[in-house]
Amino acid sequence: MLQRKYLLTFTSDIVNEPITYKIVKSFDLLVNILRADVGDRGGRLLISVEGSGQQIEKAVQYLVNAKVQVKELNEYVNKSDERCTDCGMCLSICPVDAFEIDRISWKISFNAEKCIACGMCVDACPPQAIKISDL
Amino acid sequence: MTKVGRRITDYWDEEHMKRNYEEINSRIKKGDAVVLTAEEIIDVVQSQGVKKAAKEVDVVTTGTFGAMCSSGAFLNFGHAEPPIKMQRVWLNDVPAYAGLAAVDAYIGATEVRENGEINYGGGQVIEELIAGRPVKLRATAYGTDCYPRKGIESYVSLKTINQAYLFNPRNIYQNYAVATNSSDRTLFTYMGKLLPNYGNATFSSAGQLSPLLNDPTLRTIGIGTRIFLGGAQGYVAWEGTQYRTDVPVENGVPTGACRALAVIGDMKKMSADYVRGLYFHKYGTSLGVGIGVPIPILDDELMRSVSISDDKILAPLFDYSVESRARKPLTKITYAQLRSGSIKLHGKCVKTSSLSSYRKAKDIAEKLKRWIEEGEFLLTQPVATFTESQTFKPLDLRSQEEV
Ligand code: SF4
Ligand code: SF4
Repeated sequence: MLQRKYLLTFTSDIVNEPITYKIVKSFDLLVNILRADVGDRGGRLLISVEGSGQQIEKAVQYLVNAKVQVKELNEYVNKSDERCTDCGMCLSICPVDAFEIDRISWKISFNAEKCIACGMCVDACPPQAIKISDL
Repeated sequence: MTKVGRRITDYWDEEHMKRNYEEINSRIKKGDAVVLTAEEIIDVVQSQGVKKAAKEVDVVTTGTFGAMCSSGAFLNFGHAEPPIKMQRVWLNDVPAYAGLAAVDAYIGATEVRENGEINYGGGQVIEELIAGRPVKLRATAYGTDCYPRKGIESYVSLKTINQAYLFNPRNIYQNYAVATNSSDRTLFTYMGKLLPNYGNATFSSAGQLSPLLNDPTLRTIGIGTRIFLGGAQGYVAWEGTQYRTDVPVENGVPTGACRALAVIGDMKKMSADYVRGLYFHKYGTSLGVGIGVPIPILDDELMRSVSISDDKILAPLFDYSVESRARKPLTKITYAQLRSGSIKLHGKCVKTSSLSSYRKAKDIAEKLKRWIEEGEFLLTQPVATFTESQTFKPLDLRSQEEV
């Protein structure tokens, strides 16, 4: 079983296509919608999918054929260790505890795998160490 | 740690249980001083007792690194050709105060750009200067017979200018508030991002490592005290603005914002690791400053006070959605609880965040310890200590007659 995160960008003409339904149904994937912004000129969908590597590849192919722009997301945000002061402000902001504190060194680390790309931490970090990665 | 108990202090005045600054400094010079951090001393006192620890340890070092809004820098740019009496000054488009002699200016940490970019301000400019980066200087003037020039644009750095020193009117508050938010919207405050419905709580003190909590009546800290400031040696200049002593005390330490210090130090010797421009979203800029203060163990009483631990230091929790200076604390919480990651409030688990860096606080206390051990940092007896009792006055609306 693999878990991957994808950012899907689509134009207004395919907004009505039931794409998430299709990838769940036809490729037997577990899909978690992390974020959805849909406007009159199309939309962006951030999903996390879980399934076999093969099935994920097929689903991506299906999406590409359906004219959806697919981008795999490894890190939605990144934390600059050089700018981070290890204060811990992000700890109580992140809804999924993607930031962790080591109570011996008191350093804060970022676990990108847990991140659900909500963006909440970005404006919470005083030295501006957290940035949204270039998508 | 291992140094404790290695030798019996030979100059400890057995009868009066005392030692003085000269004795401590002569041991520092010989490389013999026993120095521990305010964190390390806790276990030593617990296992050996105050008396034995006081006998064996000469100095305890403290540290803190947090947002200190009341900070800023005096700069002298030198004279231009032809000369200018700068009336208005900008550094990287952040206004600096120039109502001083011709080419002196003060840039405050919370001053922001005038174009609405409130995420870049004095704090960032000070960090850039200390990091050695060039900063754009712009100045205008009305022109005088002796200073004919009316404008200048140039680049400056710490290498090109004359004096550059931090002069922070209020730093290292002795304890501070804990902030939470009962309202149904996110609040952006100087205490950070406060999530709705008691979604989190933020605090800002190094607790047991915090300088002024380790010598709570400031017996050994006063004007002229040499300190660690921004990675270099600096000095206590004055009492901090809003200095007060009338805060309830528990376990020997005040349970809220109380005393503070004005500090001064040479920016040219500082490091950007310990001076950092900060931005609080929708609030504005500030300066993260790292400060460490050595506490000389002159007697048992000082050893007792430096052994304070996070479970004995309380901070008041305030609801920052109440927009009044008269808001009352909801409860008091220990730093041990705050640092554990969550607190209980109305039966609910509320996640906590520190705004100050405990990692850097520790790092500073350890660095100061090394400086003293290696004989690079001598202790100073204060030239003068601060007032023993002082209140903090509010600003009320008054007529001329009521003043
Ligand atoms: S809020 Fe920013 S500076 Fe503080 S620990 Fe998190 S990433 Fe580091
Ligand atoms: S973007 Fe959201 S989920 Fe990801 S680390 Fe930041 S707060 Fe956590």
